[in-house]
Amino acid sequence: MLEVKGIGVFYGEVQVLWEISLKVGEGEIVSIVGSNAAGKTTTLNTISGILRPTSGEIFFEGIRLDRETPDRIVERGLVQIPEGRRLFPEMTVLENLEIGTYPQRARGKRDQTLKKILDLFPILSDRKKQLASSLSGGQQQMLAIGRGLMAQPRLLMLDEPSLGLAPLIVKKTFEIIKDIRSQGTTILLVEQNVMHSLQIADRGYVLENGRIVLENTGKALLEDKNLKKAYLGN
Amino acid sequence: MFFKTLFRPQIYIPFLGLTLLILTPVLVKSPFLLHIVIITILYAALGSAWNIIGGYGGQLSLGHTVFFGIGAYTSTLLYLKFGLSPWLGMLLGAFLSMIVAAIVGYPSFRLRGPFFVLSTIAFGEVMHIIAINWRDVTGGSVGLGIQFEPAFKNFIFSTKVPYAYIVIGLLVLILAVVTLMEKSRMGYYLSALRENEDGAKVLGINTARYKLLALMISAFFTSLGGTFYAQYILFIDPYDILTLSLSIDMALVSIIGGIGTIIGPVIGSFFMIPLGEFLRGTLGGAFRGIHLIIYGTILILVVIYMPQGIVEKIRKKYRVLVSKLPGFRPEEILSLRMVPGSHILQTANARSFGEHPTPFLLEVQNLSKYFGGLAAVSCVDFRLRQSEILGLIGPNGAGKTTLFNLICGFYAPDDGQILYKGKNIEGFRPHILCQKGIGRTFQIVKPFGNMSVLDNVIAGAYCRAPKNAIARAKAEEILKFVGLWENRNLIAKSLTLPGKKRLEMAKVLATQPDLILLDEVMAGLNQREISDATVLIKKINEEGITVMVIEHVMSVIMSLCHQIIVLHHGEKIAEGAPEKISNDPKVIEAYLGEEYLIARG
Amino acid sequence: MSEILIKVVINGLLMGGIYALISLGLTLIFGVVRIVNFAHGEFLMLSMYASYWLFQLWGIDPYVSVLIIAPLFFVFGMIVQRGIFQPILNAPEVSKIFAAIGLVMVLQNLALLFWKGDYRAIKTISSGLLIGPEGFMIGLPRFIAFLAAVSIMLGLYFFIKNTYTGKAIRATGQDQGAALLMGINTKRIFLIAFGIGSSCVGIAGCLLMPIYSVFPTVGAYFVLVAFVIVVLGGLGSMLGAFIGGLIIGLVEALSGYFISSTYKEAIYFIIFWFLLIYKPTGLFGSVSQE
Repeated sequence: MLEVKGIGVFYGEVQVLWEISLKVGEGEIVSIVGSNAAGKTTTLNTISGILRPTSGEIFFEGIRLDRETPDRIVERGLVQIPEGRRLFPEMTVLENLEIGTYPQRARGKRDQTLKKILDLFPILSDRKKQLASSLSGGQQQMLAIGRGLMAQPRLLMLDEPSLGLAPLIVKKTFEIIKDIRSQGTTILLVEQNVMHSLQIADRGYVLENGRIVLENTGKALLEDKNLKKAYLGN
Repeated sequence: MFFKTLFRPQIYIPFLGLTLLILTPVLVKSPFLLHIVIITILYAALGSAWNIIGGYGGQLSLGHTVFFGIGAYTSTLLYLKFGLSPWLGMLLGAFLSMIVAAIVGYPSFRLRGPFFVLSTIAFGEVMHIIAINWRDVTGGSVGLGIQFEPAFKNFIFSTKVPYAYIVIGLLVLILAVVTLMEKSRMGYYLSALRENEDGAKVLGINTARYKLLALMISAFFTSLGGTFYAQYILFIDPYDILTLSLSIDMALVSIIGGIGTIIGPVIGSFFMIPLGEFLRGTLGGAFRGIHLIIYGTILILVVIYMPQGIVEKIRKKYRVLVSKLPGFRPEEILSLRMVPGSHILQTANARSFGEHPTPFLLEVQNLSKYFGGLAAVSCVDFRLRQSEILGLIGPNGAGKTTLFNLICGFYAPDDGQILYKGKNIEGFRPHILCQKGIGRTFQIVKPFGNMSVLDNVIAGAYCRAPKNAIARAKAEEILKFVGLWENRNLIAKSLTLPGKKRLEMAKVLATQPDLILLDEVMAGLNQREISDATVLIKKINEEGITVMVIEHVMSVIMSLCHQIIVLHHGEKIAEGAPEKISNDPKVIEAYLGEEYLIARG
Repeated sequence: MSEILIKVVINGLLMGGIYALISLGLTLIFGVVRIVNFAHGEFLMLSMYASYWLFQLWGIDPYVSVLIIAPLFFVFGMIVQRGIFQPILNAPEVSKIFAAIGLVMVLQNLALLFWKGDYRAIKTISSGLLIGPEGFMIGLPRFIAFLAAVSIMLGLYFFIKNTYTGKAIRATGQDQGAALLMGINTKRIFLIAFGIGSSCVGIAGCLLMPIYSVFPTVGAYFVLVAFVIVVLGGLGSMLGAFIGGLIIGLVEALSGYFISSTYKEAIYFIIFWFLLIYKPTGLFGSVSQE
């Protein structure tokens, strides 16, 4: 479904990604793990069209993406939920959700989707009229996911959804991610929380210093001795 | 020796330029042309004065007309009412301008970007309105005329030539001051705070003080220009000398010529003013304002297409020209007084070691910091021995950088205290702490982008160096020490990321700290660069500097640190030697999730 | 309270409505595009001239010319954004500020070139008419201007609150990066925001024409008032612009009444200056400049 072929990315004159290749098949959950500053977010932003790769290609359902603008990419059904939620703080919960249906393809079914999302996250339903900034961290994460789902993504990319959340909420977040997949949305997940994300993943990639160093099924990666090494150095 | 240097084009070209300038008033016979020359040079002088704060200091004032006006009104009023010689009035006006600059500048400098600009515009407008309405003193909108009584003591001359020499003198004076300033502590400090204010603070620079000082100097010279103008035209009114468009013109010549360079405002005004005066002279009757349309258009085009100004475009050509002229020799690399042996950074510790009663350089007690009710750092305790390397690790958002910001004085703690050399350092601002020997780097590097690598480090070295030459020598030593010597002449923003991280360390080392806090100096580096940086940190430590390091690359932390502290959700969850930490279940849980342990047994 | 004082208050509030409309455009452009458009006053001046000439040449009443000028200024604003500010969106602050100042110089002096420095006023059917109860009569044009300003602001509020484009404008102002990831073409939103902001000030120009004379530097006066209002209300806040406008209208009228109209500008510039320095977020602002 999504195919990234050997992309290299620069910030100014500094190369941050080298030869990143990865695939996400229809209906899969794929995780990218790796320590801080390994290049995970950069990879997602390149797929989303925020950054331009200097080499390599990106295809989504056979269509080349790496020359398209971010709004066109969202329009194709490739939606990213950014790290740190990035809600619109001075808009209400409902407005945040509504803006999720900004892409033309999502507007038609707005009310249906909204109902579905509010069923999925009842807490948001109770707080529809509140400003997004008044929510707790966990609620904000639910809203961010809800907002992303409003765009009716075919492939949903999540960047560090567990960041800064209490353990219980983290658990819940990953359950929700599994649910979303079971309802037919493909998932590309970027996480520091190796255990959770590899457990729910069909396949995983380990990034280190801008390169992919390991690639396997989620289970196999968890068993891999090299994984701990990539994190703790021994 | 002196004569030899005189025959080099780098020296004789400016001298030729100066000679030409001095000859102009004699050569130009037409009063109209001479008027244009005088006005052009006046604007060059005003632009150069503006450039001190606007260009070097990066504080875009559009209120400089006030200082010009104070100069003009002070000397004129003192002359008209008390018969005081305008020469004296000029100095009094200039001092008055300095005082006003200090009073107005101090609060305004809290503002940044467009807000600072707005506050200066508002200030200028208030003065404009006051001058119009305070008729008894300023003559209001009617203005003030000065009787034409030529005499030296009256600062009135019957021909334009003396005026031309006075204004040339003013320009040369300002340029001399700017030139001296540029290569001194003040120049480095201003450029540094313009490029990155936080980055400047941690090098011990009292940014507020230097901005104020620059504004006062700038106001002083602008004010001299105001008196000159009053005595030259012999008439002043608020529409001519206290108006926003005058402030704009001063900034405009600098921006078009090249902001923050010695010659920029001069080039800008030599290019723009004659053009404007010519257009005004020829087309001004039928097409009033045409020169300002041209000015505005050029300004827009310059900021879009050559934001560095004309200077940037001709600099290369000038260098080529210079290199082809007789007598050319490339700039000599200043000889390096490399200290024999390895104790390059030693002075820092010699200064302080043994004075304080405890064996701990830094003691953090029960430290907490909240952001909006959320504890970013919560009851953290630790002690750091002299000459140790302490690692600070923890997942994203654990509060590591916040802890650094607390130690360096960027944040005030909500609870607990920090003892440095046995003394509580609460309430000390970052530049003071740097002067006391706490140096830090930033996770997101803060190089002074448009300065050379060497100049970046010199800005740090001034923290301890009493003289320019010593600061320079120190900076050169340090560049060799960290391995950036080859890149010393590069513009800092053109360095690669590893280079910038290294520069970050070099700048801090130049302040000769006793304690250095390194915030993720390895992030984004590849394996080889990481091992280079590790070696460098070890070298720094061997010089006797105590190191505290935040790092995500675990292999580095494990091999480098004597002690490690682990933060998670703002709390210290583990502390100890590296081997102990890497097998601590709590740590593994924090990093990999609790189930990792269960799953792996 | 004396009758005169009540009249002063009413007139101040009416004027405040127009100020608010001018400030609205400024605050919208800043809040979304992050450009402080110093040339905003010159936009006003141009629209006043446009409305003046439409009346002089074809007898179109300023209230009717709104229909022509509003769309015209929408396009004009977009052209300015596309041609001048878009290329320097990521440039340092100094470039943005001086690009705007360059624009001020060009527009102001083009007006001087074409229409000389004369003060020009027009006499429409509404000018000079008074309405209201005996003793509290107010000028009809001021009243109309106030009503129009308020209804435009309400309309804009509705637009921003309820349409996709309006929400996208707010979203872009709050977090440009996130907006991009929601599929919003932020460059297009910048153009629209600049267009709407210019349109607002264009309408304000038409509404002012029956009350005020136009001359090439008329904008300089109004833009400084607008800056005071925008900073008072909080940069980027629409509600703030409205309330700030009314406050400044009042302050101006009252200080003109109690002190002297010659110093009234000085008074609110002093307010402005202290406000900038000690309460830079304004009454309703969320965007801090520090």
